[in-house]
Amino acid sequence: MTSTREERVENALQQLLERLVPPQTSDEDEATADQRWDEANELARNHIDAEPEPGVVEDVNHAANKIKRRLLADGNLEARAKFEGLYSRLLSQPVLGQKWAILYFMLRVAEGREAAVNGHDYVEVDGPDGTDGEEAEGIEDEDEPENERAYDEAFARSGLPRISQSRGPDAPTPPPPLRDRAIPGRSKIQQPPEQAAEAQSNGVGNPPESALLRDLPFTLQGLSSTNLNFSDKQSLKLPAALPVPLISLLHTLAEPSLLYRSLSDYVETPDGGLVSQSLRSAIGLELRSYLRLVATLEGQIRRALSQLDENLPNGGLGKAGVTLKRCVIWTREATLGLRLMSLIVESSRGKKGGELISLIHSFSSSHGDPFVHTFAERLLEHITRPFYNMLRAWIYDGELEDPYFEFFVSESNDYEDSGATSVWEHKYRLQKDMIPTIVTEDFANKVFLIGKSLNFIRYGCADGAWVESYSKDASRELQYGDTALLATSIDEAYKTVMARLITLMEDKFALFSHLQALKKYLLLGQGDFISLLMESLASNLDRPANSQYRHTLTAQLEHAIRNSNAQFDSADVLRRLDARMLELSHGEIGWDVFTLEYRVDSPLDVIVTPWASKQYLKVFNFLWRVKRVEFALSTTWRRLQTGARGVLAAVGDKLGPDWKRARGGIAEMVHFVDQLQYYILFEVIEAGWEGLQKAIKKPDATLDTLISAHTSYLRSITRKGLLGGGAVNFTTQLHELLKLMLAYRDAVDGLYSYSVAEFTRRQDAAARIDTRTRAGRWGITEADEDGAPSPLFPGNTARGGRGGREARADNVDSPIPPLLPLSGSSENNTLDQLRQRLRSLETEFKAKVNVLLGDLAYQPDVDMRFLGVVMNFNEVYEPIRRRRAHGKGREGEGMV
Amino acid sequence: MPVADDDKRKAARETIDILHEISTLLNTNLDRHTLSYCVSLIENGVNPEALANVITDLRAQNERFEAEQAKAAAQ
Repeated sequence: MTSTREERVENALQQLLERLVPPQTSDEDEATADQRWDEANELARNHIDAEPEPGVVEDVNHAANKIKRRLLADGNLEARAKFEGLYSRLLSQPVLGQKWAILYFMLRVAEGREAAVNGHDYVEVDGPDGTDGEEAEGIEDEDEPENERAYDEAFARSGLPRISQSRGPDAPTPPPPLRDRAIPGRSKIQQPPEQAAEAQSNGVGNPPESALLRDLPFTLQGLSSTNLNFSDKQSLKLPAALPVPLISLLHTLAEPSLLYRSLSDYVETPDGGLVSQSLRSAIGLELRSYLRLVATLEGQIRRALSQLDENLPNGGLGKAGVTLKRCVIWTREATLGLRLMSLIVESSRGKKGGELISLIHSFSSSHGDPFVHTFAERLLEHITRPFYNMLRAWIYDGELEDPYFEFFVSESNDYEDSGATSVWEHKYRLQKDMIPTIVTEDFANKVFLIGKSLNFIRYGCADGAWVESYSKDASRELQYGDTALLATSIDEAYKTVMARLITLMEDKFALFSHLQALKKYLLLGQGDFISLLMESLASNLDRPANSQYRHTLTAQLEHAIRNSNAQFDSADVLRRLDARMLELSHGEIGWDVFTLEYRVDSPLDVIVTPWASKQYLKVFNFLWRVKRVEFALSTTWRRLQTGARGVLAAVGDKLGPDWKRARGGIAEMVHFVDQLQYYILFEVIEAGWEGLQKAIKKPDATLDTLISAHTSYLRSITRKGLLGGGAVNFTTQLHELLKLMLAYRDAVDGLYSYSVAEFTRRQDAAARIDTRTRAGRWGITEADEDGAPSPLFPGNTARGGRGGREARADNVDSPIPPLLPLSGSSENNTLDQLRQRLRSLETEFKAKVNVLLGDLAYQPDVDMRFLGVVMNFNEVYEPIRRRRAHGKGREGEGMV
Repeated sequence: MPVADDDKRKAARETIDILHEISTLLNTNLDRHTLSYCVSLIENGVNPEALANVITDLRAQNERFEAEQAKAAAQ
């Protein structure tokens, strides 16, 4: 076999030389040509015999990579791509046994050629990342110790790119720890003796690298070993007397070790919420895979060490393929992972639940490094598991399973247990900072609402059975990454739950009929009922507040209900209606303290909140007052109208102008009150009701929209109904106006009594004249004429009927004689006072209306401006702006 | 020796083709024949490094020789 091999080598070599050595030229003698031939022959033989074995470790990939790098260094990407194609084809060829050698050979030739072209200079042919000068050295001096080269090869930076290339996602080569198998027979390589010295001078200190390698797996697991001792938690003690390069390598290797130590400590700690527990377990998993890597590494190291030739000073470490440097490279990716985890652990301190998830999500969503991204995604999958469990319990059962307060919904402990409102508004809270970034805020709001509604259905509406069946039907597993499914299931749950809640509100709790009833009774929608109530209560309420009794009030209420259309309302509604008195305060009359009340109980008071009840009450009180003034004014008006044909007509000569004026005043006020009432009832309340109906009937209504619709309904009523606080306080103005009207009515009533008295006096006088005339005496005596005509004391004057003297004599037996002459002037005084009072009240009223109209005219709300216009449609009043003028508005001349 | 001699030859030719392309890519200036001799040498266990050195040296020698020839011609 050997002979044939040698023959073949000989044969091939000869032929090769024939091709390479230039043939004999014409002007050259045979001897020279022969000599040249011989020289070449000898040279070839020398070379080949001198180096029977290649000086580098056989490695196809290595050679190929070198070629690639070379091509890359030339900047020829196309060539490189082409080479890769060729190379893969070559690998698939079965014929060659020494592919790497051929490649290596070609590379060498190419390099040699280049060197030749460059005039035999040392040529830097390596990649842009610097060089070890290995190839060039190999050419220039053949005696370069092989060991040196091998050492270089192992530690060479030229080795690095290959491994990093294998990291590329499309690299066909297996991962580094697996690929660099120890090749048997490698240690057979003979080493020239002079390498020993070289190796020593290379700086292998004590302990030797092989010992360090042996310890390395332990170090990587965070365990102390003979040479590498963990002095405390955070530091690794390196042996002294190591050469600097080894120290720096060990520094790099110490990083994963220390990180592993601290991380495994962290994993061991028990405290923290569910999410951080799952973070721990996820990190634990990662650490386990790190340990797997360490185990592989250990295997490699063991195998390599067992193949070491102990006789060699450096242990032939370079040949074994496992060196500290290699270990650094193999652990590089793992180190990155560990580093990332420790970063996460560091920054997760003090964070929990959603914040923690957000933190890790930020690594996966906003970090540019794909490695970090995938790593964080992997972690997220584990970490979000408890979160999704909580989410599931929340959106399907309406229960908060969150022992560590990690969910973005939290139960607030300090809500006062005062019924459903608190359950809805305050029992649960949305914690904005706990919303993990994996869900949007919109989504979180939806989730919050779903759970809250479920909870409310269960506890507020006592419909636990439905919740149970719902959760059985709809519940499904939620998981990270399945965004579409999550979104659809949330939407579905949202729709179902909201629809259910609205149905419950409508059907079971008759929300709408209650709202209707509130409008009817508290906002005076039911006219007949209200007027009946007012009529029946009027006499009662005129008395002071402290003489009001609740039972009389409720009796009157019953009466009003039974005699109006209200009796046809459902019993449930009527049951809630109640009359009561407000807090008593001194000097008030029944009108001020009377109020109607509509009781709303548990689940419904989510919508008709205490605040809303208060608003209703406020509106009712105001409307009741207006109604009362209207009632009073119309009573008086009625009296005037009936009186005008009888009593008043009789005294028309004396009081006619006064009555004309008083009628004008009353009419003006009636107009005012009517407009005000019309405005509030129709423009404000009905319009608001319309809006509320619309909002409620919307298909996608939720409890929240109901609540907000109802709130805005009430708000618009109070604001437009001139009850809201604002820049202008209409409430006080109106109250003053109403008070003025009542006073005016009183004055008019006074005038009426005066008129009646006057009328009676005149009748008496006429009757006396009649009797006297019939008796044959003078109808009017002197006494009658100069005795002041006193309608209040007709009897006195009638009995007199004689001269002043007699009258004076009569006075003796009269109980109040001195008053007689005075009575006439007091009569006139009373009339004057009445007139004056009427006039001043009228003036004041007009002035106030002017101010009110002035304020109304500058309101932003169009309805309120409209009220101003309606009240002053014929421009009787001159609205004034409050800022500029505060004087009296001039009385309007025309009457309304 | 494999039985399918024909196949083998074909495969060998293909291999040589590939290698030749690579060598062109690398600018080795080896022609097909030279390359196939080299391949067979290497296949027979010759150290590729040494062989590369031989080729380089021989080329250098040739150059020297040609230079001499040119000089002689010029003279």
